[in-house]
Amino acid sequence: MDQIETFYDVMRRQGITRRSFMKYCSLTAAALGLGPSFVPKIAHAMETKPRTPVIWVHGLECTCCSESFIRSAHPLAKDVVLSMISLDYDDTLMAAAGHAAEAAMADTIERYKGEYILAVEGNPPLAEDGMFCITGGKPFVEKLRYAAKDAKAIISWGACASYGCVQAAKPNPTQATPVHKVITDKPIIKVPGCPPIAEVMTGVITYMLTFDRMPELDRQGRPKMFYSQRIHDKCYRRPHFDAGQFVESWDDDNARKGYCLYKMGCKGPTTYNACSTVRWNEGVSFPIQSGHGCIGCSEDGFWDHGSFYDRVTDLTQFGVEANADKVGFAAAGVVGGGIALHAAVSALKSAQVKSQSKPTVQNEEA
Amino acid sequence: MTRGATAPPARALAGDATEADRATVARRTSVYVYEVPVRLWHWINAAAIIVLCVTGYLIGSPPPTMIIAEATHQFVFGYIRFAHFAAAMIMTVGFFGRIYWAFVGNHHSKQMFMLPVWKRSWWAEVWHEVKWYAFLERTPKKYVGHNPLAQIAMFFFMTVGMTFMIVTGFALYAEGAGAGTVLHTIAAPFLAWIGNSQVLHSIHHLGMWFIVIFMMIHIYAAIREDIMSRQSMVSTMISGTRTFKDDRPD
Amino acid sequence: MVVQTPNGFDLDTAGRRIVVDPVTRIEGHMRCEVNVDENGVIRNAVSTGTMWRGLEVILKGRDPRDAWAFTERICGVCTGVHALASVRAVEDALGIQIPENANSIRNIMELNLQIHDHIVHFYHLHALDWVNPINALRADPKATSELQQTVSPSHPLSSPGYFRDVQNRLKKFVESGQLGLFKNGYWDNPAYKLPPEADLMATTHYLEALDLQKEIVKIHTIFGGKNPHPNWLVGGVPCPINVHGDGAVGAINMERLNMVSSIIDKCIEFNNNVYIPDVIAIAGFYKSWLYGGGLASRFALAYGDVPETGNNFDAANMNMVRGAVINGDLSTVHDVDVRDPEQIQEFVDHSWYEYGEKGRGLHPWDGETTPHFELGPNLKGTPTNIKEIDENAKYSWIKAPRWRGHAMEVGPLARYTVAYASGHEDVVNQVDGLLRTMDLPTEALFSTLGRTAARALESEWAGRMQKHFFDKLVTNIKNGDESTANIEKWDPSTWPKEAKGVGIAEAPRGALGHWIKIKDGRIENYQCIVPTTWNGTPRDSKGNIGAFEASLLNTPMERPDEPVEILRTLHSFDPCLACSTH
Ligand code: HEM
Ligand code: HEM
Ligand code: NFV
Ligand code: SF4
Ligand code: SF4
Ligand code: F3S
Ligand SMILES: [Mg+2]
Repeated sequence: MDQIETFYDVMRRQGITRRSFMKYCSLTAAALGLGPSFVPKIAHAMETKPRTPVIWVHGLECTCCSESFIRSAHPLAKDVVLSMISLDYDDTLMAAAGHAAEAAMADTIERYKGEYILAVEGNPPLAEDGMFCITGGKPFVEKLRYAAKDAKAIISWGACASYGCVQAAKPNPTQATPVHKVITDKPIIKVPGCPPIAEVMTGVITYMLTFDRMPELDRQGRPKMFYSQRIHDKCYRRPHFDAGQFVESWDDDNARKGYCLYKMGCKGPTTYNACSTVRWNEGVSFPIQSGHGCIGCSEDGFWDHGSFYDRVTDLTQFGVEANADKVGFAAAGVVGGGIALHAAVSALKSAQVKSQSKPTVQNEEA
Repeated sequence: MTRGATAPPARALAGDATEADRATVARRTSVYVYEVPVRLWHWINAAAIIVLCVTGYLIGSPPPTMIIAEATHQFVFGYIRFAHFAAAMIMTVGFFGRIYWAFVGNHHSKQMFMLPVWKRSWWAEVWHEVKWYAFLERTPKKYVGHNPLAQIAMFFFMTVGMTFMIVTGFALYAEGAGAGTVLHTIAAPFLAWIGNSQVLHSIHHLGMWFIVIFMMIHIYAAIREDIMSRQSMVSTMISGTRTFKDDRPD
Repeated sequence: MVVQTPNGFDLDTAGRRIVVDPVTRIEGHMRCEVNVDENGVIRNAVSTGTMWRGLEVILKGRDPRDAWAFTERICGVCTGVHALASVRAVEDALGIQIPENANSIRNIMELNLQIHDHIVHFYHLHALDWVNPINALRADPKATSELQQTVSPSHPLSSPGYFRDVQNRLKKFVESGQLGLFKNGYWDNPAYKLPPEADLMATTHYLEALDLQKEIVKIHTIFGGKNPHPNWLVGGVPCPINVHGDGAVGAINMERLNMVSSIIDKCIEFNNNVYIPDVIAIAGFYKSWLYGGGLASRFALAYGDVPETGNNFDAANMNMVRGAVINGDLSTVHDVDVRDPEQIQEFVDHSWYEYGEKGRGLHPWDGETTPHFELGPNLKGTPTNIKEIDENAKYSWIKAPRWRGHAMEVGPLARYTVAYASGHEDVVNQVDGLLRTMDLPTEALFSTLGRTAARALESEWAGRMQKHFFDKLVTNIKNGDESTANIEKWDPSTWPKEAKGVGIAEAPRGALGHWIKIKDGRIENYQCIVPTTWNGTPRDSKGNIGAFEASLLNTPMERPDEPVEILRTLHSFDPCLACSTH
C-alpha cells in the first residue's frame, strides 16, 4: 500500500513540507473540535487517502475544454492525471470503450459514493427527448443525472456547461441547457470560458485537493480566485484606454503600437476572467495582447449581443437588431419631429384663437 | 370650456390646489410654488443630467484618439469618465436630497413622487390635459403645481428613470470598484441577476435615450405652456412663484 | 443474406451484432455497430453520429464577420480551421484580398494545427489501440534504451535511467489500484503485439508528447492570443506587425518571431526524432495487420490547401494538392470544383434531417438543415434507449455528402493518395521512402496503418512548410511590408446587397468547406461540409456506404466483445463528431 500516491504525496508535490503538513493536520483536528491525540490519526488518513476519483462526462460541446486542460503547464496535465486525481472516466481520453467504459464509470460511482468529483464539459440538450446528444443509446441528460446523483461536487467546465455557449445561442435549436438548470441539488463550481484557461482549470482542481474544500464562489458560482475581476481591470493596455488612445481600425498605426481595443469592440470591460493576468498557454499571450479584442467568452450568453466588433452592442436580449444609440436616435428623431409638428400646429392654433376671440378677450379685460 | 365662471371655485380649480391656493388664485395673480431647494435641485439636476448624457454618449462612442502626452498623463478618456461619475454623484445626492424635501417641503414637492391614481378627478384632469395637447380643448386649466400630464412624465421619466439610471449606473460603477468593496457587495445580487455586464451597459445606455426624450418633451412643453397656458412656467422654476395671466378661478 | 453496395462492398447482417457506444478516444459522440460472422470477422458495419448542435441554424441572420468565432466552436480539437474556412468564405463572397503577411501567418497557424492535431491524435487518442501501457511494466529499461537509440539515434531522452524513472512512476500508478484512464482497458487481449520495451518506449512518448503539445500551440497564442480557439479576422489577421518602429512591443516583434521560429524547430525535431520513428517502430510489429483500407484506394478526395499567395485557391497555387481519385483508378486525378452544384451534394435519406423530398441532393449554397429525429421499424429498444439501430432507416446526425454521387474518403491518407497519384514530388519521395524502410508494397498504404503513417508523414511535411512560410513572412517584412489586414470592405455598407462565397481548407481530418450566402449584410445561409461528415457519412438512398463503414469490413476480431480492432480502424480516421454534425 505504501506505493499509492496519496493526498500527502500530492501536498508534497505542491511544495508543502512535512512540517506544514502536520500543522495542517492539527489545524484540521482543532477545526473539527478534536483533541491533539487525533492529529496523528488525521495525518495517517491523509497519508493513505486515495487519489480523488474524477468522472468527466461530455455533452454537446466542441471538446476544447479538454484540449485546454491538457495544455496546463503548472501543474502539468500528466501530473494531474497520474498523481493528483484518478480520472476514472473520460470518453475523450480513456482506453476502454462501449460497455467496458460504462462499467468503469459504474464501478467508480459504486465504490466512491459521495466521494468523487463530477466534471462536466458541454451540456445536455433537452429538446427531442434529449436525443440531440446520445450516449450508450440514451439521452446524455440521463447519464448526467446518473453521474451527478452520488457526486461530491460538480465542476461545470467552460461556457457550455456553465451557460450553454454556442449551441444555446439563439435560437438554441436543441434546447441546450446549462448543468445547473438540470442538476439542482449539488454544489456546482462554474469555470466559464470558451475554453477556460488551462491553469485556471488545473488551479481549481489542485485548490480542492490541496485545501480539501470547495473554492469560494461568487454569486454566479464562479471561483472568486479567478473570476472576480474583469479583463479590463488588469489589462496592460488600460493606460491607453484612460488616455483615450484607441485602435481606430485594424492594423492602423495605433494597432501597431498596442493601443486600447475598446473601439474595435473589446469586451474586456464586461468580462470576468483571468486572461489579462494568468494569460494563455503558459503566459505567452492573451487575445488582447495579440491584437484582437476580448469577445467575452467567459460571460453568459456572449454570443447574443450582436457583432463582436461593436462597442455599443445590439439589444438582442429584447429581440432588437439595433443598438441603444440607433434605437435612441430613431426615437429622439420621431419625438423631435412630433415636437416640431406640435409646435407648428400650436402656433397656428394660437394665432387662430387670437384673431377669433379678440373682441371677447378685450371684453373680458375691460 | 365646459365649466363656466359660475362653477364653484372650490371644485373647479385643478390639480393639487388647497383651499388657500384657490383663494389665492382667485384673488391674486401669483403664488409661491417651488421652494428654494426644489429650484436649486432642478437646475443642478438638469446640469448634471446634461453632463451625464454627453459624457455617457462619449463613453459609448469615444472621440478620436488624441496624442497629447504620455498615456498615463493624458487621461482624456479618464476625465470623460470622471466627469460622468462626478455628475452621477451630484445627481444621486441631489436626488436623495429631493426625496428628503418631498417629506419636509410644501405639498407640491411631493407631486413628482406620487401619482394620485386612485382619484377619479385626477384622471379627468389627465383627460382634459390630453385633449388640450391634442388641440381638442381651446383653453387650458390652471395648475399651481404640475399639470397632470407633466406629473406623469416627471414620475416615469424622472423618478423612475433616474432611479433606474442610479441603480444601473452604480452597479456598473461597482464593477470598476471591484469585488470586495462595499459598493460591490451591495450591487452583487443585482449584478448576478443581470448576468452578463454587457446587458447592463446596454440598458444603462438605453436609459440615457429615455431621459433625452424626456428632456426634449419637457423643455418644449415648458416653453409652450409658458406662452400658451394661463400661467408662468420657466420663470416659476427660477423665482419659485407661479404667476397667472387671468383671474378666473379655474 | 449478402447485399452488394453500388460502391462495391459486401454487407451481411446475418451474424452477431456488436455495439460500441460510446466510441471513446475520439472527439464527440459516436456509436458503432457491426455484425460479425462465426469466425469473428466483421461483415456489416454501421456508424452513427450521435450529436447535433445546429450551428448552421444558429448562424442565420448574424454578422458574417462574426461567423468565424461561431464556426470555430464547431470543434476545439481542430480549433481554428473552421475559423479559417469561415473567413475565407466571407472574403470570397465579398472579394477581399488579404495581405501577403496574413496569408503566411494563416498558413503557419494552419500547419501548426496540423502538426499538433496529428501528434495528439497519434499519442493520446490512437496509441492505446496498439500500445499496452500495463505491459510496459515488464520491460527492461536498458533494453528499452537500446531500442530507443536504434529507432531514433538523435533523440536525447534515451538513457536507461530515464526509462527506469518513467517505468517506476507507471508502476506506482498501476499498483495504486487506481488505473484512471487505463481502467477497464483490454490489456490482456492478444491483439496487442508489442514487446514490453516497445510498450515502455511508446508509453514514455505518450507523456513526452503530452508535454510537447502544449508548446506547439504557442504559435497560435502568439498570432491569435490563445489556444484552443485563437482569434481570426475577416480581411487578414488581427495581430499587427511592428518589428522596427515605435511601440513595437505592442505587436508581433522580433521577440515574438523568435519564439515562433524556435517552436517551429521543436515541431520539426519531434517529428523527426519521435513521431516518425515511433510510427515506423510500432507499425513494424503490426506489419501483418493490414486491414481497414475501405474506400482509401478507391475513392479519395482533397480540396487542396496552403495557398502560396493569399486568396488564390487555384490548384496551381496550392501546396497541398487538390483532386479526386475514383473507382480505384490512380492514373487519373479528377478536377474538383466546390462551386459546382453537380459535384458536391448532400443527402439526408439516412440522416436525421428532412428535405421534404426523398433522394434529393443539395449543393451547400442551397443547403438546408432541418432536424428530424426518426428511428426505423427494425430498431431494437425504445426511441430513448437504442439497443440496435436500424440502418435501413434514418440512423445518424451526420448528413451524407457525395462527390459526383460517390462516397469519398478524405483526410491525410486521401491527401497523400491524391498527391501521390498527381506525382507531387515531395509526397512521392516521402511515401516511397517510408515503404522502402518498412519493406512494404504500395498497397500497404491503403489500410488502417497507412492512414496512421500518412498522418505522420504529413506532420513532418507540415513542419518544413511552417518554416517555409516563416521565412516568407520574414522576407516580406524585410522588404518593408508589415501590413496584416485589408479593411477596405470591413464596413458592411461597402458590401453588395447579395453575395455568396466558399471557403475551403484541408483540415487535419480532411477536406473542409464552408459555403455562405450574404444578404443585406447578414448571413442568409451557411453550410459546412466537414471532413468527418465525409468519412462518417451514413448510407445514401442508393446504398453506397461511407469510409468508416467500409473500412471496418472484413476485419477479423480477436475477441468480438473487446472492440480493439474496431477502435483501431475508426481511430485511424481520427473521427471528430462535433465537427461532422456541427
Ligand atoms: C441620467 C443619468 C445617466 C446617463 C444619461 C448615463 C449615461 C451613460 C451612458 C450612455 C453610458 C455608456 C454605456 C455604454 O454604452 O457602455 C454610461 C456608462 C456608465 N455610467 Fe452612466 N449615465 C447616467 C447615470 C449614471 C449614474 C448615476 C452612475 C453611477 C455612478 C453612472 C455610472 C456609469 C458607469 C460606471 C458607466 C460605465 C463607464 C465605463 O464603462 O467606462 N451613470 N452612462
Ligand atoms: C432649459 C431647460 C429647462 C427648463 C426651462 C425647465 C423648466 C421647468 C419647469 C417650468 C418646471 C415646472 C413644471 C411645472 O410646473 O409643471 C420644471 C420641472 C422639472 N424639471 Fe425642468 N426645465 C428644464 C430642464 C430640465 C432638465 C434638463 C431636467 C432633467 C432631465 C429637468 C427636470 C425637471 C424635473 C424633474 C421637474 C419637476 C420638479 C419638481 O417637481 O420638483 N428640467 N422644469
Ligand atoms: N472533421 C473534422 Fe475537424 C478536423 N480536422 C474539421 O474541419 O475536427 Ni474537429
Ligand atoms: S465552452 Fe466553448 S470551448 Fe468549451 S466545449 Fe463549449 S464551445 Fe467548446
Ligand atoms: S484593450 Fe480592452 S480590456 Fe484592455 S483596456 Fe482596452 S477595452 Fe479594456
Ligand atoms: S475572449 Fe475569452 S479568452 Fe479571455 S480575453 Fe476574453 S475572456
Ligand atoms: Mg453541414
